[in-house]
Amino acid sequence: MTFCGDMLWLLIVLPAIGAALGLIMPSPRAAIRSVAIGVPVVAAVAAWAVVTVMRGGPLLSAGEWLHLDALAGYHVVVMMIVFVMSSLYAVPYFSHEPAGHELDLPAARRFAALWYGALAAMTLVMLSNNLGVMWVGVEATTLLTAFLICLRVSPSSLEATWKYLIVCSVGVAFAFMGVLLVAASAGHAAATDVHLLHWTHLQQIVKTLDPRLLKLAFIFIIVGYGTKAGLAPMHSWLPDAHSQAPAPVSAIFSGFMLNTALYCIMRYMPMVDAAWARNLLIVFGLVSIIIAAVFILAQHDLKRLLAYCSVEHLGIIALGLGLGPLGAFAALFHTLNHSVCKALSFFCAGRIGQACGTHDMREIRGSIRLSRLWGTGLFISMLALIGVAPFAIFMSELLVLKAMIETHGYISMAVFLLGTATVFVAVLRYAMNMAWGTGTAPRKDEPGSLLEWLVVVAPLALLLTLGLWMPASFRHVLEAAASIAAGRAP
Amino acid sequence: MHNTTDNIMAVLMLINLALTASSRLNLCISLVSLQGVALGFLPLFSHNGLNLRTAFLAVVVVAMKGVVFPRLLMRAVRGANVRREVEPFVGYGASILVGILLLGISFWVGNRLPLPVSAVSSDLVVPGAIGAILTGLFLLTSRKTAVTQVMGYLVMENGIAAFGLAVVPEVPMLIELGILLDIFVGVFVMAIVIWHISREFDHMNADQLSALKG
Repeated sequence: MTFCGDMLWLLIVLPAIGAALGLIMPSPRAAIRSVAIGVPVVAAVAAWAVVTVMRGGPLLSAGEWLHLDALAGYHVVVMMIVFVMSSLYAVPYFSHEPAGHELDLPAARRFAALWYGALAAMTLVMLSNNLGVMWVGVEATTLLTAFLICLRVSPSSLEATWKYLIVCSVGVAFAFMGVLLVAASAGHAAATDVHLLHWTHLQQIVKTLDPRLLKLAFIFIIVGYGTKAGLAPMHSWLPDAHSQAPAPVSAIFSGFMLNTALYCIMRYMPMVDAAWARNLLIVFGLVSIIIAAVFILAQHDLKRLLAYCSVEHLGIIALGLGLGPLGAFAALFHTLNHSVCKALSFFCAGRIGQACGTHDMREIRGSIRLSRLWGTGLFISMLALIGVAPFAIFMSELLVLKAMIETHGYISMAVFLLGTATVFVAVLRYAMNMAWGTGTAPRKDEPGSLLEWLVVVAPLALLLTLGLWMPASFRHVLEAAASIAAGRAP
Repeated sequence: MHNTTDNIMAVLMLINLALTASSRLNLCISLVSLQGVALGFLPLFSHNGLNLRTAFLAVVVVAMKGVVFPRLLMRAVRGANVRREVEPFVGYGASILVGILLLGISFWVGNRLPLPVSAVSSDLVVPGAIGAILTGLFLLTSRKTAVTQVMGYLVMENGIAAFGLAVVPEVPMLIELGILLDIFVGVFVMAIVIWHISREFDHMNADQLSALKG
């Protein structure tokens, strides 16, 4: 037990050490490689900790400041998958930058340090048992990732960075009001307790908390963290930041940073009046799906399209969370599927963009001829993203639908189907034109390296496997995590 | 004790109003740092009063908000060679009226919230805090200069800090320091981005940042 407690510390300290090492790397190549080697090591330690938790129950350590249970453990796994994939992908991506755009040494060091820093901050959010520290972690992810967007300084990347900084800082400041109100809801008796904001402590005294203040707090929490999670209508920063960042950064933004914020909202679910909170989540989810669908219809930039797709999928996850236990199960399953699939889409979009010199979908034609590996990867990942069977996203969306039928949410079902069908048609058209359309002259296809093949094939294999068969142990993990995220039974 | 708290809150509200009316960036920066310093002293006059913990935090807050932030922002202003706010979306006359309106709203809301505000704290703290948050949001949305937006963010943070002081007397030290670190890094990062923006664009108007749409 004590040893496992030490391990929890390691998960935050190891990336911090990596960040420091990243700053003293001798060459840009070494800096990028240090990320590709170091992150899988951290992931291995994390996997060990999570397996311990799944077998032996929740861990508390560091004077109850760190806490790892099924919900946090599941998110840690998703995070590590996305980070390992993106770190490996960063190697081929940055070595194929067009001439004149290669990373120089300061930029490469900055990339390595901030990449590890972002990993440490997101791990802190997952592991912290204290709602205040959790907030500190979320704000830290905003600040650490800001310079990843303008790794290459240009007017448009600066614009995206500025919007991201201001919108997310202000949004997350609202979430802090929520944290304060949760503390206030405990009343005077508990006001001087050191453990006041500990999540495990709040679970024990949840009956004595003032429900009116908790409701007020939850509104601030959902607006505040919802901004960071990209829920509409607070998503204005998201398409800019995702489209301007280098592809590996877009992948972690879309693949996990948004989920970090949504995870924070899940932590508050067991404290508030479940029926009320669920309705709120359903509304935010449906609005996100519809707004994303509208913007996807009128989109020409590939990475912006993928960004709006994230708004849609985060909306689906929020919607699932609002649908009770089965919905929460589906939402968490969808979290993994979306993160893996979206990271893969951004990988392919990044390399195709490098080959074509643009992300404008009207100019990308015949991408499969252009590059068999990345063109096919982009096409299949976009199909998986819009929910084509037998990939796992189809299964998790089906589960969300089932949860809606069970809870008799027929209106939300109609809105959900309208939104996803619109996205399906729009994205399918873009994907087919990009894959086979004629126009540009076919260029020389480079056979991808083994690493590149791995980065494309492994996520697709995972999505296909989970779409066809869900292992019993994975189901147990999801059920345990969902029982926390679903909130108290009404 | 109460008198001092009341006075500090009155200063805070007056600074809010002054901020809505002033166009000179240097003056705005001084006003915001004065507000931060005044707030830094607030914990010394409420709840447990002076002890090692509150004294330490007060020193950190005053040093950061009174010395570090204004220096960072002044440097950004100098680098960008802009002295005044340019044509805000809402004129200064109208801004004062909005400021007064926000003050009224904050008193109305602040007195109706079912908050467990303790008797030891002054009645003015919650309205003052909400007023600062609203003023910060107003500055963020109605001004064009990037530096002023940072100030809006800081005024909002000041408001949240005051609010926290009113409803949660003893936030654990670790969290308090974490928040301060975040705000410090935040302002630092924003100052660097402003520096880049002023190099890439002619000047640092955030409303020029509108190429990315849809």
